[in-house]
Amino acid sequence: MTNAQLDTPVLILGGGVAGLAAAVDLARRGVAATLIEREPRLGGRASQFCCKATEACARCGACRLGELLAQAAQLPQITIYTAALAVAAQPQNDGWQVDLAPQPGGEIGPGAGRPLRERTTLNTQAVILAVGGGAFNPAGKTRFGHGRVQGVFSALELEAMLSQGALGPDGLAPAKVAFIQCVGSRDASLGRLWCSRVCCGYALRMGRVIRKLLPDSEVTFFHMDVQDYGRAWEDELPLMRHQMRFVRAMPGEVTAGDGGPQVTYALAGEQAQKEGFDLVVLSVGLGPPNGASALGELFGAAKDDDGFLTADGGPAGVFVAGAAAGPRSLNESIVHAGLAASAAAVRVASLTEARHG
Amino acid sequence: MAKLSLLWVDTPGLEDLDPALVAKAAGMALDQGGLLEAAVVTTSQEQAPAAVRQRLMGLPVAWLELAAEVGGGPEAHRLARAAVAVSRAAGRAAKGTLPPVYAPQPAQSVLVAGAGYSALAAAWEAAAMGHPVTLATPFDSVDQAGADDDPEAVSLLAAQLPAQVDLAPNSELTRLTGAAGGFNAWLSTNGDAPQTYGAVFLAPSGELVVGCEVDGLDPALCRPVSGLNPEDFAGPEDGWLHVAVLAGTAEAVPSYSFSAAMQAALALAERPKVQVSLLFSEARVAAPGGEKLFRDCREAGVLAVRVGPGKLEVRQGGRELAWADPLLGEELELAPAAIVLAEQATAARPAWLDNDLLVKPWDELVPDNPRLAGGRTSRTGLFITGALRGTSPGEARRDEAASAAAAMHQALTGKVVPMPAVRDNFCASCLTCVRTCPHGVPRYTVDHIQCAPAGCVACGACAAECPAEAIAPPSWGNPEMFSSLEWGLALAPEPKMVLFACAASGMPAVTSLSAQGHQWPAGLVIYPLVCAARMSQLLLLRALEMGAQRVLVAGCHPGNCRSITGNHKAMAKIASLSGELAALGLPTDALEFLPLASNQTRELASAVRAMAQKAGEE
Repeated sequence: MTNAQLDTPVLILGGGVAGLAAAVDLARRGVAATLIEREPRLGGRASQFCCKATEACARCGACRLGELLAQAAQLPQITIYTAALAVAAQPQNDGWQVDLAPQPGGEIGPGAGRPLRERTTLNTQAVILAVGGGAFNPAGKTRFGHGRVQGVFSALELEAMLSQGALGPDGLAPAKVAFIQCVGSRDASLGRLWCSRVCCGYALRMGRVIRKLLPDSEVTFFHMDVQDYGRAWEDELPLMRHQMRFVRAMPGEVTAGDGGPQVTYALAGEQAQKEGFDLVVLSVGLGPPNGASALGELFGAAKDDDGFLTADGGPAGVFVAGAAAGPRSLNESIVHAGLAASAAAVRVASLTEARHG
Repeated sequence: MAKLSLLWVDTPGLEDLDPALVAKAAGMALDQGGLLEAAVVTTSQEQAPAAVRQRLMGLPVAWLELAAEVGGGPEAHRLARAAVAVSRAAGRAAKGTLPPVYAPQPAQSVLVAGAGYSALAAAWEAAAMGHPVTLATPFDSVDQAGADDDPEAVSLLAAQLPAQVDLAPNSELTRLTGAAGGFNAWLSTNGDAPQTYGAVFLAPSGELVVGCEVDGLDPALCRPVSGLNPEDFAGPEDGWLHVAVLAGTAEAVPSYSFSAAMQAALALAERPKVQVSLLFSEARVAAPGGEKLFRDCREAGVLAVRVGPGKLEVRQGGRELAWADPLLGEELELAPAAIVLAEQATAARPAWLDNDLLVKPWDELVPDNPRLAGGRTSRTGLFITGALRGTSPGEARRDEAASAAAAMHQALTGKVVPMPAVRDNFCASCLTCVRTCPHGVPRYTVDHIQCAPAGCVACGACAAECPAEAIAPPSWGNPEMFSSLEWGLALAPEPKMVLFACAASGMPAVTSLSAQGHQWPAGLVIYPLVCAARMSQLLLLRALEMGAQRVLVAGCHPGNCRSITGNHKAMAKIASLSGELAALGLPTDALEFLPLASNQTRELASAVRAMAQKAGEE
């Protein structure tokens, strides 16, 4: 059986914020693009994120997914396939020939693209890898008890709980909440020697949301250092220090106690102590994309020392956007996609010019 | 009275709408005023039957665009929405509203005023998309780097600059008026004559300044990170030379600044017999490679000292530093031979920016608003990038320029947006629109209001505020707004309610809920707005007058409005009107503003439920 054939100037892998932003920016530049998402629906990790506004917008960027989906749905230059996986890729004269295989599932909804139904061979001049970063699996840090100790959640699970209203006056109402930062980042024992950039921002914002939902709750923030996170951050930090308890210590372990999880930690120069909480949140860091090596093999994409994808030193016509290239917030990923779109558009223009003289 | 000859519902998402429903809705509109000749529903203009397309030729056509929000939902609702749509067009035709005005072709040329990496990146990006670019730099040549730039990256980019970039050296922007598609820019080299540009990038080169460090240090010992030559440092044979690197001891510094300080500390530590102490309140390691650099410093023997903000004491006329060390539980003192200070990038805001162009404060022009990330400002077509905006030096500035340039290209070349229509004979020249428009579109020229060709986003702030109904973006004037609201409420069963939903927050949440099969209360009229800025007190009163028991306005959270203050404006109107409701014999909570994000569907559903419950009890 021969594959269906498709020609597109630019192929974008990944339908999260970075991929959608790249598609929208290409369309703004007048360049058509085909975006494929391997999952049944678009949105990537951002679709799990909750709005972190309290009295005002917290600038987390979670709402911008909706904006991008609406823009992408309205721009005729963008074609979207969900449940589509790139299974083979070959460089050819002017770019790449990529084989796409349909995946199970795929739903049709407003602006959700349509599921890929048959094996398709796609010819493209440029490829943008926007597959997102991989979130650290907290099970890899066994002493923090995730999956073992009741009441221990990853920050991603907390995002979903807050989105669904599972936490708050009508749901779970913990009196004492602890955030443990740098789970899977800044950690030599795991060989993950980078700061994940986004965790201080999301943890403190979610802590603030919890304090708003449950004004009697106490939120403790176990951390090494508070990282910078945008222009207004420095003004907000002193306020947050009043709303939450900042403890500069990395806990040694989280164990099951009578009333909930127990966190063992030692302040500088002091003995280790145990403290009970009702809810412990592990602020998992961003790492290289899952399947980075498969993508690397597929497109020969270059990787940096930490395993993140990079366009530098890679094959011609392959660009990287968003958290696949290094830890980035949603807003940063959207802006970062602008450069990949620019590079791809310039390549398409020069190839078209060369072809037509 | 104008006659609407043909109505065209050009709406993706309405394709599954039963034509009979539309006919019924159109029929209702016909009964009302006999204005409608026919109604056609189609997904796009191309798919319209040839006969229809032929009939359209030369006929006055009311173009009607519901956003993609329509879809799903019970049939009755779709009927109501179709009727709203139909009657909006009917109302527009009936009440002699402002016709759409299509702007003259926006100017395509782009002015980049500034220097250094950000300015070059903007010029490069704009030229790559075929725009004629003028790069006005205050320096002799364009490869002049800012103090915060990597000189190599700057000269590389300068060498790649395409030929269509017109260079204007020794030239500064001294004044700017107008908006997207029609800026007037005064350059110091052009005398009094302004030049017209479609878009403007403002990217002055950065300077490095020391901030965030403790006061009272002996200036003779201090030097900034950028002025450091590690070769100058070497300790004595029989002892150590102590150097302190201060990186955010009064207040934490940004991570790029911390990285530069770590690099300085590392270079010093590699010198013979030099002992380096790196003092900071927070180790800001979020810049790429920051964590590794931090570890390299410590491996090289740099003492990393976390000392709480403001906890570093300065003694001996600024020559000695002291702090309480929590690990050792004692106070430590250091008398360094030199003190190296971390620096941050900044750029001076041109004086004219506050006077001439803006009428608006800086925080409204360049707010910390996620919808205006990537160099955008509230004024369409004006981009402020780099150090002036506070963007970190390095690659982030290149990303910013690329993202901004795509938005610029779309604004100048995309679908021609009808600009706000102004009725000169109604206009009292009160300049309310000039003050109100967040995007700087209307401006006063000689004796009338003129609108910029490409800056309008149809938020409707002008129409909501204009006391004379003299200005409105197309299809957002009072007649069509009122007519469609009246229609919607006339069709809705009791208890009647209105949900005004902003296109950036409320409406996407409505769409998601509808797609999930959410059942809206039968009496709820969902009215989409481009922005909550369009909300006027007249509109709120009209809703109450037409029998709405409750009105909910779902707009963006403060700080998230694309039109900067549209949500604040709606909130203020609701607050002031709510004070008058008791006098009218209405419940004081009949009007409510719901701050919402597009993904807060649960919050919207529960607010509507609560509203319906209150309305049902009365």
